Amino acid sequence: MALREGVGLLGGIGYTARDLATRARRRVTPQQETQLMVLTPDFDTRPVISFQHVHKTYPTGTEALRDVNLEVPQGDFLFLVGPSGAGKSTLVRLLIREEKPTRGKIFVDGIELGRMKRRKLPHYRRKVGLVFQDFKLLPNLTVYENVAFAMRVLGEPDHKVKARVAEALDTVSLSGKEQTYPANLSGGEQQRVAIARALVHAPRFIIADEPTGNLDPATAWEIMQLFLRINARGATVVMATHNREIVDLLRRRVIAIDAGQIARDDRSGRYHDDLAKPQVRAQ
Amino acid sequence: MTAQADITMILRNLKFALNSAWQSFWRNLAVSLAAVLSITLILILAGINLLVGHAFAQVLDGFRTKVSEISINVSDDTPLQTVYDFQAQLAADPRVVTVTFVTKDEALREFKSDPQNAILATQIEGNPLDAKLDVRVKNLNDVAAIDAMGRQWSGVDPTDPTNYQGDFVNRMLDLSEWLAIAGVALLIVLMIVSVVIVMNTIRTAVYHRRKEIEVMKLVGATEWFVRGPFVLEGIMTGLIAAAIALALLAVAYEPAVVQFKSDVGFIPLSYDPAFISSLARDLLIAGALLGAVGSYIGVRRYVRI
Ligand SMILES: Nc1ncnc2c1ncn2[C@@H]1O[C@H](COP(=O)(O)OP(=O)(O)OP(=O)(O)O)[C@@H](O)[C@H]1O
Ligand SMILES: [Mg+2]
Repeated sequence: MALREGVGLLGGIGYTARDLATRARRRVTPQQETQLMVLTPDFDTRPVISFQHVHKTYPTGTEALRDVNLEVPQGDFLFLVGPSGAGKSTLVRLLIREEKPTRGKIFVDGIELGRMKRRKLPHYRRKVGLVFQDFKLLPNLTVYENVAFAMRVLGEPDHKVKARVAEALDTVSLSGKEQTYPANLSGGEQQRVAIARALVHAPRFIIADEPTGNLDPATAWEIMQLFLRINARGATVVMATHNREIVDLLRRRVIAIDAGQIARDDRSGRYHDDLAKPQVRAQ
Repeated sequence: MTAQADITMILRNLKFALNSAWQSFWRNLAVSLAAVLSITLILILAGINLLVGHAFAQVLDGFRTKVSEISINVSDDTPLQTVYDFQAQLAADPRVVTVTFVTKDEALREFKSDPQNAILATQIEGNPLDAKLDVRVKNLNDVAAIDAMGRQWSGVDPTDPTNYQGDFVNRMLDLSEWLAIAGVALLIVLMIVSVVIVMNTIRTAVYHRRKEIEVMKLVGATEWFVRGPFVLEGIMTGLIAAAIALALLAVAYEPAVVQFKSDVGFIPLSYDPAFISSLARDLLIAGALLGAVGSYIGVRRYVRI
């Protein structure tokens, strides 16, 4: 029974490859599956992220982004794809206000990031969960402490920290590894800790820059399942990735960036647009 | 209720910062100790500066009470009533503490009673000494004005009006001023050096924790939350150094004074235990402040989001 439900669900998100689906299903507990069924994405037509004629030129003179226009509705799941150096990470850095646009405006949740006071930035960052290719875990802290860190920094009380960290670790199926140090975890496990940390303060946005870049395909898929589940609970997900298989399997919104410009924005896209050019696909 | 929640949050953050600062101090123990020792040395120098300044002030105080007394000599033909009038006028002056009239006989007796004048006294015939008004002036700076008043008075002895030695007093006053300025200048240089030392120590600590700082910023820590531990570490460094410096100075103060007195007996220097507590306050405040300022500057650039 659980198996049939799983197929239906995965079919609903446009998933087709049978072997990977089976592998993924095996990692979803029945409890998590009901969670998946109950929480449906809460779509809203008003964009929560909006780029208006955004240009970014680094002080070195590199024009990383040129006239980027983009609207992301609440609850969207969005892939940023494109060749190396296209400007994906730059877009991510603009989105988390690590960089300011040289020209143009970026709105998130109605706030213009370029005009946001420095004082307000921490509060903005708390709405965002960030996941990176290199995990960015603190090696001298345990799994529990790494996740709790994101809450302690906000001055949250111990009992709240405890409950939320336990919940987040449960979500990423790492309960039981609390006292382990990152060095003793596999890459996939480390990334799950990072995701738990990104989740623990219940952010409305998850922004990930090549979160599966350091992981083998099976582990990458496992991590993608987590992002899907987080998205299903209502968080807007923006993910830069080079993982062609996953993008092609999931058929979510794909924005292709090439040389700093949006080359393509497909509602249910693939990693490569032009199937007639095999040398591009081979990358 | 929200105010209370704010306070508990501040306390929690303070606890986090203290923990963090303590860990950082021990993690970079070699650097931390080097900083503590350098600042200890600097604070010892500053403390010696304060102690010498205090000793000088003590000596100067003793000297001040001596020079703030002048005698106005009365010429022999002045009617007694004129002297009394002038005495009353001086006594009414707010700058004057006391005025004592010393008659010719009393002046002679006083002169003879001084063992230094023993030989001279046997050769005196009659009473060559003037009667005088001994005036004790409240403020050393006003002695010159009182002296001028005395010199203008009709009853003054024109050949030897007063015993005021203006030049000498002015030179002492100038010297004490210069010494005070030099002391302050030295203190400022010492403070700047220690701020720079703390700054560099904290930079090392920041370097060691750069990953942690990056993560803090990414998960939405405020700038003060990131800065706090480093500023506390700086304060800690300054306070430890101040405590060590203070202990060494307190132990060395009394023997130093005793030694000095036995070497240069005529200078009226004395051990002043009360000064230790004011020195303690100054050094601890200076240590904490130096630590805070140095670490704030050291960390400022790196925690900007
Ligand atoms: N801090 C920086 N200073 C100057 N130039 C930069 C900086 N960061 C990126 N660039 C340049 O901007 C362009 C876009 O870089 P970006 O990192 O956004 O690419 P990307 O799409 O993320 O590439 P990849 O897939 O390799 O991660 C590149 O030419 C890069 O060299
Ligand atoms: Mg990149």
